[in-house]
Amino acid sequence: MKIAIFDPENWREIVATLARNKTRTFLTAFGIFWGTAMLAMLWGGANGFEGLMRRNFAGFATNLGGVFSDVRSISYRGFNKGSHWNMTVQDVEAIRRAAPAIEYSSEVNAGSATAVYGTKKKTGTALGVEGSYANISIPVMYEGRFINDSDVAGSRKVMVIGRNRAADLFGQDSPIGKFVSLNGIYFRVIGVAGQKSNASIGGRIDDSFILPSSTMRRAFNTGNTIGFFMYTAPAGYTPSDNEPAIRRVLSANHAIHPDDERAVSFMDISENFRMVDNLFLGITILAFFVGLGSLMAGVIGVGNIMWIIVKERTHEFGIRRAIGAKPADITVQVLSESILLTLVAGTAGVCFAALVLGIADTLTISPTLGKAGFELHFVTAIGIVATFFVLGSAAGTLPAVKAMQIKPIEAIRDK
Amino acid sequence: MIITLRNINKTYPGAVPLHVLKDINLDIERGELVSIMGASGSGKSTLLNILGILDNYDSGEYILDGKLIKDLGENRAAELRNRLIGFVFQSFNLISYKNALENVALPLFYQGIGRRRRNALAMEQLERMGLADRAHHLPGELSGGQKQRVAIARALVTNPAIILADEPTGALDSHTSKEVMEVFRQLNADGMTVVIVTHDPGVGESTNRIIRIVDGQITPQNA
Repeated sequence: MKIAIFDPENWREIVATLARNKTRTFLTAFGIFWGTAMLAMLWGGANGFEGLMRRNFAGFATNLGGVFSDVRSISYRGFNKGSHWNMTVQDVEAIRRAAPAIEYSSEVNAGSATAVYGTKKKTGTALGVEGSYANISIPVMYEGRFINDSDVAGSRKVMVIGRNRAADLFGQDSPIGKFVSLNGIYFRVIGVAGQKSNASIGGRIDDSFILPSSTMRRAFNTGNTIGFFMYTAPAGYTPSDNEPAIRRVLSANHAIHPDDERAVSFMDISENFRMVDNLFLGITILAFFVGLGSLMAGVIGVGNIMWIIVKERTHEFGIRRAIGAKPADITVQVLSESILLTLVAGTAGVCFAALVLGIADTLTISPTLGKAGFELHFVTAIGIVATFFVLGSAAGTLPAVKAMQIKPIEAIRDK
Repeated sequence: MIITLRNINKTYPGAVPLHVLKDINLDIERGELVSIMGASGSGKSTLLNILGILDNYDSGEYILDGKLIKDLGENRAAELRNRLIGFVFQSFNLISYKNALENVALPLFYQGIGRRRRNALAMEQLERMGLADRAHHLPGELSGGQKQRVAIARALVTNPAIILADEPTGALDSHTSKEVMEVFRQLNADGMTVVIVTHDPGVGESTNRIIRIVDGQITPQNA
């Protein structure tokens, strides 16, 4: 049994038919080309823009919470409205015991400090943190190690120096093991660190001098007072789940009215991430529908052109039927034309989109953060072409059925 | 008999139904050269369409080469047209973007015959028609007579039981018409059954038997 779709003569004929109306074929193919390219570019572009946005938070915990002391807004137990209070190490311990959903946490102390090494001097931010800080804002270690719990417990005079500050003080030399004076106190450098993202709380690691929190309190003579408290919530929780327990602890410890929301500030980064997630979900849905619209326009174009082709070739189909073509032979011929047009133009559209996305990805590459992700995954590309293939075939089906129903006697008369 | 028609009736439906063929009875023997003549609207083209399995009839019986042609599905009708009948039309009905060889080979494509064999068989028929040197020319590059000879070659390529020709000289000048009729006579001399529908008395006279249709009925002396 012959299968026309595998017959080279059939394909030669299809190519010849399409080539006979070059302008029309080109315009139809361009519709499909543009439809697939738009869908692919919007899809890959949405991913790229999301990557651009997300890489600002790279290495930053997405379920991060923070607690900050502020002024009282309600007078309470002898403390006037407008009076300030300070969070302490004891508060941190009490919060860790009382809060139901804390995974990693660290007190954070921040202050300005001047570092001196030899004849070089540089002012930057001193950050006092605990070992778990590395799980909250994940550092990029260029040399050595980060602060750990033993450093904090032993109040060791050690320092992780930010990459930019290390370059200021040591140039190309390794600072590891060397002693840097910070506000007149010598610290041994144990690591050089930076961060991937642009986001920071307290100061960018690249520009900071990072000390064990206990050591910093002593060096800066702040006693038990801390700057603020940061923590992450485990999976299935949000940082805000801890807010009531933390408020209870701090209200009890610092004579804060239970209804005084201003006295204790909370930060919940996960809300911001949720907003970003929703924003990009919206963009992705929008991109999908705009792309789908372009795609449908292309498919309708194919359907239209196939109708015209069938109408124009009614007489020819009649001749073919008269000399022995079966209805299925005519259907296969019309469908083959539609499929070939769709496949070639669709594949070209996807290739063009991949090229444009590749250029966008190269232009937005960052030395530290890498590529933004303006790319079209192979499976997605195949999916788009397959979708177009199916829709293009569907668009060609009605004209093909119409062609199949042509009666040879009527078609031959239709000259 | 290669063709037997018994009490064939055909009516075109409409506000006023048109009874085009009325109790047609006809026998054509294998190897005959027959013309069907009649005035415009007499039903001769309808009869040809029924003979060519291009149209159905309402009642009666049509036997072609021993096969009852009745209530056929589209696929079976296409298969029988392809294998038993060679069509020659007044306006040639060649496919304009295919060259002569490809046009002649087309019926063989629908038989599932491979390209090389198709082309070889098609070339044989073009040679028989004296058109081997025009094999790779498009119809637009051929004269009317050449086009009709290409159409005859296409009708012959499947080695059919009969050739049905609908006004085969209608679009040709008198000289070319004579040449084409000579081709038909030669085919008939080789044993081919040829049925020609025409309103041209000259064409009718050059056939062995004239069947006249008047108002949808074959006149008694010709049946």
